[in-house]
Amino acid sequence: MRRLLALCKLGVVQTLGRFRTAEARRLVMTTLGVALAVALMVSVTSVAVGLASGSTVQGDDVDYWIVPEGGSASTIAVSVEGPRLGEVHQTTAEIEADDRVTYATPVQLQILQVSAGNTSEYVLAAGVVPPADGQRVLGLPTEALAPGDPHYANGTYNGTWTGDAVLSSAAAEVLGVETGAELNAAGTDRPLRAVDVADADVSTGLGPVPVMVVHLSELQTITGTSAGDQADQILVSTNDPSVESELRGVYPRTDVLTRSGVGGASVSTSSLPLAVAVAAFLTAVSIGALFVATLTGLDVIANRATIAAQGAMGFSRRSQTILVLSQVVTIAGLGGIAGTLLGLGGVVAINRISQAYVGVQNVAQFHPALLAYGPLVAIVIGLLASPYPAWLARRTNIVEVLDQ
Amino acid sequence: MSRIDPDDAAQQPTPVVNAVGVGRTYRRGQAGLLGRNSDATVVTALDDVSAAINRGELVGIAGPSGSGKSTLLHLLAALDTPTTGRIEIGGTNTAELSERARSRLRRDHIGIVFQRFHLLPALTAQQNVALPFIEWGVGKSERRDRAELLLHRVGLGDRLTHRPAELSGGEQQRVAVARALAGEPELLIADEPTGELDSEAGANVLDLLADVADDRAVIVASHDQAVLERVDRIIRLRDGQVVTDA
Repeated sequence: MRRLLALCKLGVVQTLGRFRTAEARRLVMTTLGVALAVALMVSVTSVAVGLASGSTVQGDDVDYWIVPEGGSASTIAVSVEGPRLGEVHQTTAEIEADDRVTYATPVQLQILQVSAGNTSEYVLAAGVVPPADGQRVLGLPTEALAPGDPHYANGTYNGTWTGDAVLSSAAAEVLGVETGAELNAAGTDRPLRAVDVADADVSTGLGPVPVMVVHLSELQTITGTSAGDQADQILVSTNDPSVESELRGVYPRTDVLTRSGVGGASVSTSSLPLAVAVAAFLTAVSIGALFVATLTGLDVIANRATIAAQGAMGFSRRSQTILVLSQVVTIAGLGGIAGTLLGLGGVVAINRISQAYVGVQNVAQFHPALLAYGPLVAIVIGLLASPYPAWLARRTNIVEVLDQ
Repeated sequence: MSRIDPDDAAQQPTPVVNAVGVGRTYRRGQAGLLGRNSDATVVTALDDVSAAINRGELVGIAGPSGSGKSTLLHLLAALDTPTTGRIEIGGTNTAELSERARSRLRRDHIGIVFQRFHLLPALTAQQNVALPFIEWGVGKSERRDRAELLLHRVGLGDRLTHRPAELSGGEQQRVAVARALAGEPELLIADEPTGELDSEAGANVLDLLADVADDRAVIVASHDQAVLERVDRIIRLRDGQVVTDA
């Protein structure tokens, strides 16, 4: 055991010391290779963490979500084109008729291309039926929106077109507008107007998503979903838990999610983030291991004379294998530390770029566990790569090399 | 035929290394697809070489290139095994040992000094000398102390923390000698120990080898006449055979 530890320490000391010798360039190349693989993995995994921990749209006043069957916390995500509920105005009115319900609104979520002047950006449009008492919906205040849904007009969709839109600060920023600005949605001549700009407290995990709240019927008209009066979900605010059973009977084939269920949705149940993280892991490990195996293999070939001399001195094959292994793992570990720091920089860069070009902050989230994850994966890379240089070292013919 | 007196035989020192009728051949040629080399030619590197080297002897091995010097040195150092005959080190026939056992034999009984020193550039002189102790499982502080003693012994007590790049060629070779002496081997083998040194540094290394030969067998292979003038006995080889041993 003492010999094993001493050999491992010798491998580490020798590797670190070689950074001060003429062999430093090759070592730096190997370390950089691991660092890049780990940095890529840390960055992509941070995006996966961002995806996993984000994407729920919720407000403080919402207690229940009615979503199509099979829905989960991730179903009330910022997602579009999923199964939808129909005849939502009438159904919401029936729900609101219950005295126990404080407020209910259907919500349709749609990514819309909105232009203001020469600026055109995609924003997340939320069509709602704003309450009269000015509650916040999706984190945005609705006082500035005309109460109810005037354009709906009992399903005729020929009522007053208000064009009212409450913009989140992020949406106003990407569009470069302030309160009172005229807006246009792609695919329609109907005008929109920013009646209010406010900081959204939408807890998306994706940061301040550019959000625009409009009347539901107007969004339905813009997006052509007025037929069937469709929406993605119905939000219900109540102080009486007994209303849940009533809500379950509102629609066949729907699920009712509670606040506690969504609270737990800070981590998505979607398999996409996991798939992204696993793909990043496998890519980093395979590329990193191949890179390290190749370069440390070249290193062993370049140092055959030293290996042969150690063999001549009586170092056993096993000891030489341990030495090579500890050297490879040391290089990989150093690459892992450097890669994790690079990955942290990558996360910052990704978030800055996404903020600048997409208007979404914190696409990637650097979880503290990644500080350990990066170096650990690098060590795995080193262990996977080490059999090749170890094999090369073992097959070094002492007599042949010393003869040269 | 003369008979050996048993009393005389008992007084004869057991050779540290004994080569008896040693021959070494190599197959040279293109290997086939399955590793067979039907067109290979057999090259004889050594043929019927016998020599016994005792404790306290400083022996030179001389001969022109291709005479078999290196081959004999590798056999005496248990790095290789003979094709015919036998090499006995401390009474053990090296050909009967596994590769692992030969590795242990080298570790425990043989010190080797190389022409190009083969010091690890990242380690200090003290750490380089302490290397063999790691293989023996010696503790850290003892390794350090013993390496320091050895470096004092070769006159480098003031160079403990110097790295090879900070030492002259002669000093590096003395570090290599100190490393070879780490296990207090009965047999010290030096292959062209002065080959990379100027005459003054070479003379210092020879002094050192002569000094350590008092209580062990030292074998030096060299082309250098200055080296051969310092040894007790020279084994001269030509075409794989011993020409003179005197």
